[in-house]
Amino acid sequence: MKKLLIAATALLFAGQVQAADVTGKLVLYTSQPNEDAQQTVDAFKAKHPGVEVEWVRDGTPQVMAKLRAEIEAGAPKADVLLIADTVTMESLKKEGRLLAHPAADIAGYDPAIMDKDKTYFSTKLITTGIMYNTAAPVKPTSYKDLLKPEVKDKLAMPSPLTSGAATIHMVALTGNPDLGWAYYEKLAEQGANPQGGNGAVYKAIAGGEKLYGFMVDYMPIRGKAQGAPVEFVFPEEGVSAVTEPVAILSTAQNPTAAKAFVDFLISREGQELAAKQGYLPAHPAVTPPAGFPARETIKLLPFDPAKALEGDAANKAKFTEIFGG
Amino acid sequence: MTTALDDTASVGGARRLAPGKPAEFGEGITLAVLVLFVTLICGLPMALLFKVGLTGPAGIDLAPLAEAMANRSVQTALWNSLESSVLSALLAVILGALLALAVGLTDVRAKGPLVFCLLLPMMIPPHVIAIAWIQAMGPGSPLLKPLGLAPEMGETPGIYSVTGLVSLLALQHAPLVFLILRAALRALPRELADAARVCGAGGPRVLLRITLPLIAPSLLASFMLAFVAALGNFGINALLGIPARYTTLPVLMWRRLASFGPDVLPNVAVISVVLAVVTLLAVGLQSLLQRRLRASLIGLPQAPLAYALGRARLPLEMALWGFIAVTLALPFAALVATALVPTYGLALTPATLTLDNFAEVLWRQGVTLRAFANSTLTAAAAAALIAAVAIGLGHLMVHRTGRTRQLAGLASAQADIAFAVPGLVVSIAFILAFLKPLPGLGLSLYGTLWIILLAYVAVFLSVGLKPVTAAYLQMDRSLEDAARVAGAGYLKRVRRIFAPLVAPAAASGAILVFLTAYNEVTVSALLWSSGTETIGTTIFNYEDSGATTLAAAMSTVVVLATVAVMVAMNGLARHVPAGSIPWRD
Repeated sequence: MKKLLIAATALLFAGQVQAADVTGKLVLYTSQPNEDAQQTVDAFKAKHPGVEVEWVRDGTPQVMAKLRAEIEAGAPKADVLLIADTVTMESLKKEGRLLAHPAADIAGYDPAIMDKDKTYFSTKLITTGIMYNTAAPVKPTSYKDLLKPEVKDKLAMPSPLTSGAATIHMVALTGNPDLGWAYYEKLAEQGANPQGGNGAVYKAIAGGEKLYGFMVDYMPIRGKAQGAPVEFVFPEEGVSAVTEPVAILSTAQNPTAAKAFVDFLISREGQELAAKQGYLPAHPAVTPPAGFPARETIKLLPFDPAKALEGDAANKAKFTEIFGG
Repeated sequence: MTTALDDTASVGGARRLAPGKPAEFGEGITLAVLVLFVTLICGLPMALLFKVGLTGPAGIDLAPLAEAMANRSVQTALWNSLESSVLSALLAVILGALLALAVGLTDVRAKGPLVFCLLLPMMIPPHVIAIAWIQAMGPGSPLLKPLGLAPEMGETPGIYSVTGLVSLLALQHAPLVFLILRAALRALPRELADAARVCGAGGPRVLLRITLPLIAPSLLASFMLAFVAALGNFGINALLGIPARYTTLPVLMWRRLASFGPDVLPNVAVISVVLAVVTLLAVGLQSLLQRRLRASLIGLPQAPLAYALGRARLPLEMALWGFIAVTLALPFAALVATALVPTYGLALTPATLTLDNFAEVLWRQGVTLRAFANSTLTAAAAAALIAAVAIGLGHLMVHRTGRTRQLAGLASAQADIAFAVPGLVVSIAFILAFLKPLPGLGLSLYGTLWIILLAYVAVFLSVGLKPVTAAYLQMDRSLEDAARVAGAGYLKRVRRIFAPLVAPAAASGAILVFLTAYNEVTVSALLWSSGTETIGTTIFNYEDSGATTLAAAMSTVVVLATVAVMVAMNGLARHVPAGSIPWRD
């Protein structure tokens, strides 16, 4: 009992110290859509009013290009990165650009999606499956449905050169013995033109310019809830997933605020915010939002991040060879 | 202190400066500062770009250039750039010429509002125009759908094609042609047409045999200008070209740099050199043509011609306003309709109408507010700086001779080059020059607002300089002589004599610079960073991330702001040299 009391006091004390110390400017680089990024930042600021958050949004590769240019210029500005995939995080970790946050509480999370050295932390599960416009004649349930003649020239997909989620999806699909690179070559014959990110694909399908495409789950699920004529399908082969990890850069100007930001994202409150925004939260105990099937029914395509990082350049080159660009 | 120096200098300075004689002290410093500044921001980055593109460790090395040219995507992009630019320039000339003849030669009514509306597309940013047309022409078109005219679901809209891209470029650049040709029509020696009429030639015959041959050099010159503008266009090329699988050079450069970062900088520098060379060749050709134009046309601008059209007047007026309705009102209406629905793809009905996108853009999104502040700040600072530089440089260039004039002319030529080459090329030159921390200071300009501000000054200096030099040309030099005899030193003369006299011209130039910089996306597309977003990059980013409704809302706000500034600029009209405000007579 006494122990518990001490622990409680210590916790309370720690909480107070934290709230008092967390101030100053925090620079966040993220690939979240603007509205979500703003909501996340607003929720964090409500908790830590002393922090001024400045954030930038772009596709994951673009965010990385900007960061690399700043590193070259001798002044990386970001404190925190919140981007699509763990593969990119792994490469930054290898270069020693990430700061470990040993105090982060990751109990309750699946260890498979967390870095054991606590340099990056998954915040949600974003799966990539198939989206279609409700005016479409075919209701696809499998990736192979997209090779049907009715789909020809009505197909859209995001480019791995613009989207981190699309990179993972490409690795997962081409690594599937049933699909492989031959499947991507057939997609090219179907007239797929992967040039933009998920946003561009969503826009094309919601606007009816295209009818089918690979897509991250939350955009169509959210759009459908708002009345857009779209559907999202978890194909029978399975979906790929990115975990939108967050990490602190070793060059962070404000590591205290950065740690508070990470703590907030993986806290119960942060996870519930993600669910409220329409994402599948990373914490298994937080209820998924409406529009998602039960968590255990979602089938994930097998995926090995280490192998993906190794073959990254070759994969992208092969992709460019098939689709041009 | 400066006054004392000026006074001593002016004792001996009461005479006219002979060519070659050393300049006054204050004047010398002004010249040195201006030329150095312009060289630092215009000349040096471009020189560095060419150095990176064309040399290796052992002097001139064309291998990287040859390698880039052998690359299939570069070849395709170069060809696409040339093809779309030539075709769109041709179309722009035809369209602009028809409009200029209709407005410049006939007695159609309401010419003021007509010209304002015809020139409006020139002031609206191309990416906004592209977004508006995409929404107007797509299967989800809020305007065509209710009329049953929209393309079928799943059918790729025709606008994503070479035709669509070329047409939008032509619409964007036709006002440029219109402006040049209207000025040329004003300067036509009227006697020739009158003589032909007296000899019994009808209207069409006069047009074909007299008017068109006389304005032929202007037609050619405006073709080259439209060509160069299309070559450097980014917004339309990216938003229409990428979905159409029609990659042009600026888009290729932007995509490579945005996706791969500074590792590909040398490679992209080589491609920018290719684009810069094509542009400079075109500009060289154009200035050659313009020199011919000066020789062939005599006479000052005169009152507009107004041949009576009689019964044909009403149909022509209807055609002109119909053209404006289709090219301006239709896309803008689509833009507003998209800004008013909660999610893209939903039809606009009384039940779906919402102002939420405007609220999100104007109140909730921190980035938008920052972008509005950044663009306003950098565009205003660039405009003010350019006005100051133009007042000094214009004077030295027009009212001086010998070495002084040559040096000032050199600075102005560098500004012209920075203006002519595509904005994306300049921003790559700026990254090359200012990415590494500045020697001695240890600070890098990259990632700060300063780099965007300096890039704006470099790119738009030429825009602000033109009206000021025109004003100096009209100014009587005896004013300066009188002040000098009275003992006023250089800086005092600038302050009391020239600056007040050319201030209106400098102000109208500055407002043009402000409008252009406020709306641009090409220069900042690669230079923006955390906290330094511009309006252009923010709209582009919204559109790119799928937040089309937000992009539409912000575009609507920007178009309204642009029109407001243009209307305000009309207030200046009486105080500036003719031609400083493009849409005024």
